[in-house]
Amino acid sequence: MNSTIQLTDWLHKALQFEQRINQVVIGQQEVVRLMLITVFARGHVLLEGNVGVGKTTLLRAVAHGLGGGYQRIEGTIDLMPSDLIYYTYLDKDGKPRVDPGPLLHHGEHLATFFFNEINRARPQVHSLLLRAMAERSIAAFNQDYLFPHLQVFADRNRVEKEETFELPAAAKDRFMMEINIDVPSSDSVLDELMFNPRFHDTDRLISQLPDSGMEYTQLNGFAEKLQQNIQISAKLKQYALSLWRATQKPQDFGVTLSDVSMPQLMLSGASPRGMSYLIRAAKVRAWLHSRDYVLPEDVQAVFVPCMGHRLFLSPLYAYRHEQLLPALLTGLLSAVAAP
Amino acid sequence: MKILLLLFLVLTGCSNTEHDMVRAFTVHTPRPFGYVLGDEIPQQIILETASDVALQTGALPVKGTINRWLELKQATWEKTEIPDGWRYVIDLNYQIFYAPLEVKMLKIPGFALQLSQQGKISSQAVPDWAFTVAPLRELAVRKDDNGEYMRPDAEPNRIASTNAQIAFGLSASLALAIAGYLAYLYGYFPILNRSKVFKKALRKISRLGKGDMGQILAAVHYAFNQLNGKPLFQVQVADFLSSHPEYTALKVQLEWFFAYSNRYHFGHSLVVIEDDVVRLKNLCQHCRAIERGSR
Repeated sequence: MNSTIQLTDWLHKALQFEQRINQVVIGQQEVVRLMLITVFARGHVLLEGNVGVGKTTLLRAVAHGLGGGYQRIEGTIDLMPSDLIYYTYLDKDGKPRVDPGPLLHHGEHLATFFFNEINRARPQVHSLLLRAMAERSIAAFNQDYLFPHLQVFADRNRVEKEETFELPAAAKDRFMMEINIDVPSSDSVLDELMFNPRFHDTDRLISQLPDSGMEYTQLNGFAEKLQQNIQISAKLKQYALSLWRATQKPQDFGVTLSDVSMPQLMLSGASPRGMSYLIRAAKVRAWLHSRDYVLPEDVQAVFVPCMGHRLFLSPLYAYRHEQLLPALLTGLLSAVAAP
Repeated sequence: MKILLLLFLVLTGCSNTEHDMVRAFTVHTPRPFGYVLGDEIPQQIILETASDVALQTGALPVKGTINRWLELKQATWEKTEIPDGWRYVIDLNYQIFYAPLEVKMLKIPGFALQLSQQGKISSQAVPDWAFTVAPLRELAVRKDDNGEYMRPDAEPNRIASTNAQIAFGLSASLALAIAGYLAYLYGYFPILNRSKVFKKALRKISRLGKGDMGQILAAVHYAFNQLNGKPLFQVQVADFLSSHPEYTALKVQLEWFFAYSNRYHFGHSLVVIEDDVVRLKNLCQHCRAIERGSR
């Protein structure tokens, strides 16, 4: 009974929080909803979008609302793993000093870490970040540092390809979702963004956000409770299993794409971790819709952002990746029925 | 010394090693006349040797062009054991490409069969074979200029094939009919099927009761999925109604159906009452009426 009250109480706060963020970052309701899902599913997020679409504002708004430490780093080709851990400089007395870097700066209070243009950083940096993401800890100065509340947001720019390092499959798989942020299409939203001075000063905009009432230190515990309380029926398990199988052998489910030999299309389907992320996210969505059971539409709503970066096409079709993958994901959802 | 030399010469002169190596040698050839351009001429060579003699098959003529007008199309050989020796059968098949203007004598050039016996090499000559080739063209000069000078062969009489044609037509139609029926069974004619999806659903659920709610819902879902061309979910009902406006009148019932199905399949245990079954059957009947165009 207590759990139900707690779920309802948090739901009220979460929806209020979402509403407030939607007032700060306008015209991005779907993105805000997905972000909210990842916050409560405790998953890391890969953001994709052009510059100036509001990624940082969105992240800062979320970080501000939840509290806890926020850090940001820009990926560059000469960034080394040690740059995340410490930096050295000469102080005003001319003595050498070693100070904690962005990862260690807030210690265990680090809640939101934004890695901008992650694909510009070298694989050594990726591997350090992977450990931080998977284990929420890193080893430095002969000791382990824990970040129990850490949620990583990484951004990759798909427009520029020069001097970039494609994220390895293992790295991509550790992100719960890949969220696309596009420029809002509505004229009224564009008009607001251009001419309303309220949106010109993001610092002031974010500072006006009231406290969400959800403490970041409580998120892990609540997320666990949420996962335990939202039910999944046998039929839904069957549906999720069929979707999983369909990601591995789409041809068995009658999915066809133009100019593609379906048996040769897939290099690898979704991973078990990917599927568990999908179900976690679906449960959070069900909760946000005031339900204590998951429907196929919950799974469908998070399927594309959860699966898009996990499916790998064979080298024969990899060059048509950007054209084929959206069609494949839509095809998979259209091919699997429930019940 | 001179005596020894004389003795050696006498001995070597008397010995006939070649004769010993080859016991029998025959060349079978066809008639030596009556050939025209493009004819094939087979030749068979039969050779019998002692058991310690080996034919050097590598030295046999190989397939290919022999000269400007002669080609060896096939060259095979076979070795079989005979008492105290070997029998070789060599089959050669020549083709001539000589277009003479008058009857002409030609020769298939001979060659030598190489034999070896304990490191000693000997040969057996296959002689040239002469034959005559006739021209293919009409060579007599015509007195008049009428008519065709060169003409093709007369067409052969056609074999009556009416029965075969009828049989072919019948079996082709039968095969086509069977293929069509199979395609229908496999559901390759979605338009045909779509026009009676609710007929099938209705037939299926008519004998089911509230204890079979899972089957009833599955049958109705299946009908909607068929009609929609892909699985239809609750969130897509509005899209479905815009693509199938004839079902708009059933909007409320449809929304109830999907919400009910979701609660039944994915929610907590739902108590099924008889009224739910009646509502579902009514929905299916309304859909069937729309399907038949009577609503």
